[in-house]
Amino acid sequence: MMRALLAAALVTAPLAAHAADGARIQVSGEIIDTWCYYSGVMGPPDSTLGSAHHTCALWCSAGGIPVGLLAEDGTIYMILKVGEDDQSAGGDTALRMAAHTIEADGMLYQRDGLNYLLVNEVTSDLDITNASHDEWGNNPAFSFPDPNKQK
Amino acid sequence: MKKLLSLLTCVVAAPLAAGDFSEGSKAKGWGLEGEQKALFEAKVVDVMCELTGDCPENCADGKRQFGLLRSADDVLIFPMKNGQRSFYGAVDDLAPFCNQTVMVDGLLIDNPELGAKNVFMVQFVLAADMEKPAKANKGTKVWAKRHPEAKGKGPWFRRDPRINAIIAEEGYLGLGLEVDKEYAEENF
Repeated sequence: MMRALLAAALVTAPLAAHAADGARIQVSGEIIDTWCYYSGVMGPPDSTLGSAHHTCALWCSAGGIPVGLLAEDGTIYMILKVGEDDQSAGGDTALRMAAHTIEADGMLYQRDGLNYLLVNEVTSDLDITNASHDEWGNNPAFSFPDPNKQK
Repeated sequence: MKKLLSLLTCVVAAPLAAGDFSEGSKAKGWGLEGEQKALFEAKVVDVMCELTGDCPENCADGKRQFGLLRSADDVLIFPMKNGQRSFYGAVDDLAPFCNQTVMVDGLLIDNPELGAKNVFMVQFVLAADMEKPAKANKGTKVWAKRHPEAKGKGPWFRRDPRINAIIAEEGYLGLGLEVDKEYAEENF
């Protein structure tokens, strides 16, 4: 019965894959942990940026959560490729840029309300410029282990 | 099982009200901003392939982000998270279903203020050859298979060699070990 239902579903599902048109853009902003920023699971969006969230951003990026670029105007771009590295799920290149402020040249694809960016080149990498721990501490709190408990 | 078949029938046979895919969902709420339970049928696709036509075999073996091309309206849903609490994405749970049409159950996030639209946490997946939905909680097990050298106590993210190498070099705050030291002295 279940197989019949899913077989019917397969027949009725749209089959056409349609590539969208891309546009070349240059954009600057911060490499962010998109899930924590969007979902509020770790608190206000600003608390999921910069140094306060650096370790959590590493965890999420290594765990395959999509990495994004938060532009100065608030637009978020989902990064699908950086240079020759198209490992957008847990890849090394994006992991190394967690919370960095960068300038990128790439191709923008827009689909169903989201922006997807294929970065051809990172034209500048300023490392972490948002010292957000001054305001937010470290988020989540356990991301920075108490050194006194490690001794 | 009868309930599941019943809800599948509803999803397959009846077009849902625009934007509301919550009927029949067994997803757990997380109290997230703009979350909506959602059960829908979708094709698991390589997002980059879908957008650009660059389509390696087998969805690049799960190295690229997946999309869920929703059957009801052809909308490309972006699954960011699996059902685990431990900082893990959806790719390793969806990789076995590359280019298959499946049922997924989870939470859609809709937060216009932040630009969050059609992003998703997948909690369950059901494919044609499965008797019951599988929990989307396999990610950390896949990680453990990839990193036998990191076997030990504690959560995966404390043992991941790449993460630990960056923290050892840049500190928890990412601003260098001196900044970490000052922060620790002031806060612990």
